[in-house]
Amino acid sequence: MAGRQVAIGGAGFSAHASKRSDVNMPELVHEAVEDCLKNANCDINSIDSIVFGNMPSFEGVNYPELWMTDEIGARNKPLLRVTTGGTTGGSIGIAGYYNVTAGLPGIDTVLVIGFEQQSCGDTSIGLASVAYAEVSAYTKFGWSMEKNSKFFGAGAAIGIASYQAINYIKRSGATEEDLARVVVQNRHNAAKTWWTHLKMPDLTIEEILDTPYISYPLRYGMVTPASDGACAMLFTTEEKAKDFTDVPVYVNGVSSVSNENAAMGYAGSGTGQLDPCEQIGAVESAKLAYSQAGISFPEKEIDYIEVYSPFPNQELQWLERLGLFEENTAHLRYRDGTTAPNGELPVNCSGGVNSTNAIGASGLERIAESALQIMGKASNQVPRTVHTAIGHSWGGTINLVTLMVMSDQQKRKWKGGE
Amino acid sequence: MGKLEYIKKEYERTRKTKGKWYLSSYKYKFNTTHMKFFLEMLKEKQLVGLKCRGCNTVYFPPKLVCGKCLIQPDKWVSLRETGVVATFTATYDKNPETGELTPVPVSQIRPDGADTMYPFDLNPDIKFDEVYAGMPVKLRWRDETKGDLNDIVCYDRIEDPTEKMDLYKMEE
Repeated sequence: MAGRQVAIGGAGFSAHASKRSDVNMPELVHEAVEDCLKNANCDINSIDSIVFGNMPSFEGVNYPELWMTDEIGARNKPLLRVTTGGTTGGSIGIAGYYNVTAGLPGIDTVLVIGFEQQSCGDTSIGLASVAYAEVSAYTKFGWSMEKNSKFFGAGAAIGIASYQAINYIKRSGATEEDLARVVVQNRHNAAKTWWTHLKMPDLTIEEILDTPYISYPLRYGMVTPASDGACAMLFTTEEKAKDFTDVPVYVNGVSSVSNENAAMGYAGSGTGQLDPCEQIGAVESAKLAYSQAGISFPEKEIDYIEVYSPFPNQELQWLERLGLFEENTAHLRYRDGTTAPNGELPVNCSGGVNSTNAIGASGLERIAESALQIMGKASNQVPRTVHTAIGHSWGGTINLVTLMVMSDQQKRKWKGGE
Repeated sequence: MGKLEYIKKEYERTRKTKGKWYLSSYKYKFNTTHMKFFLEMLKEKQLVGLKCRGCNTVYFPPKLVCGKCLIQPDKWVSLRETGVVATFTATYDKNPETGELTPVPVSQIRPDGADTMYPFDLNPDIKFDEVYAGMPVKLRWRDETKGDLNDIVCYDRIEDPTEKMDLYKMEE
């Protein structure tokens, strides 16, 4: 039996910045909820259920969803928190989809909320709490803490990305200039979107190449910021979606695929992965989501893409793994302008995670921006009509990839069946 | 005008209190039985990996469960002392007197015969600029092995027969 068709009714954002010192966590989240309800022309009484997510331990608050029950309008309503690290945004989007598609009596409209206020917390403690259990095993087999910190100091989020970048550059022949070009496009796009963090309309490739290396080959100018911000979305049934928006966006495929924990093996053992930019999880995720949505030729059928790319090499890598460009050619498409907002296949017109990174919200913002592009309501709207778009996210203990395929057409139904 | 706008007008900044979260107060558990034979062989200056019967993946160091097949790898195979740099990045050493930063390579090495990579030191004489993915290296043992991971002191660079071939250069 197939589930119900799910549609997106609207999306809302809070303003993002490196330090939102004017608000605390509940107030920050409330901004996004209020914006979402306003954009969908409804109030909290239309909401039947709430899905919430953020990164655990980044702000040092467990159960933030219960702290801010009133601010998110969850009083006397079902409330669910999902958290999967960097993919939290993608996972709560999928959880919202599941909630609607399941067809539970009385639950039609689900409010999905993701947030992060990184200025409140200690990101390195948050990341350490992810990796500490694995890393501590090494001390039992003879390694000193100093040696550990050398390897894993380089192996935090940016270290993982630089391993990927080294292998991507070796594979494809992309240069540092190509990486900088991706960043420039993202930051220019961010300047045209109202809620983003790093707005840099005049950034040039030379300026980026002048900044020092953070972790070879990634420079200071290329890395993602740490932002405060929140995002909220409305998932509902296809019948009710017409009350919220003129152009409902239909969710036609979702997938969440995990691969091997690619940082280190379990308890000091080896990992079964040799090339950090191989990313089989993304390939499998794309297969699954595209097959649900009936997409056979992703590079031709998809009109708009939001990928989760804190670092520029990842943007190139994901576009290839998700089947949108041929292997090792993504950097060439940035050179010829295919991925610009007025190009053939626009990518990350909101500036992407490279310009704004409120971790728990980042994945949901990818989905939200893709949906807004289909609705025609995005700040940096692409000139061509967008029929099909995807929102991707990556994270977990760097091994989880989620994908959502959205379209302005409903999924084709099976003949017979049921 | 938001419903909570009055809060922002009244307080331009939120008030703060500080708290700390000590990770060292938690207990993390892990199994060590699968490493026992591996560490014994290190003492005898031999490298061994654990092979999965389902997919023939050789795990180095050994792994308790093969994620592809969900079975316990149980066949020991010996590995060579040579290997390649699978991937690498840099950390920076700061000279305390001059404040100068020197990049130090941090590498993941795949021993020949294994299908996995592992972080090991390169010879400290190797400059960061010289390292590349795919660089062949050879293991250097500690003089008196004790049966722990420190028995592998570092990896030395060896001659690369493919260095002069333009295999990896792509035409634009």
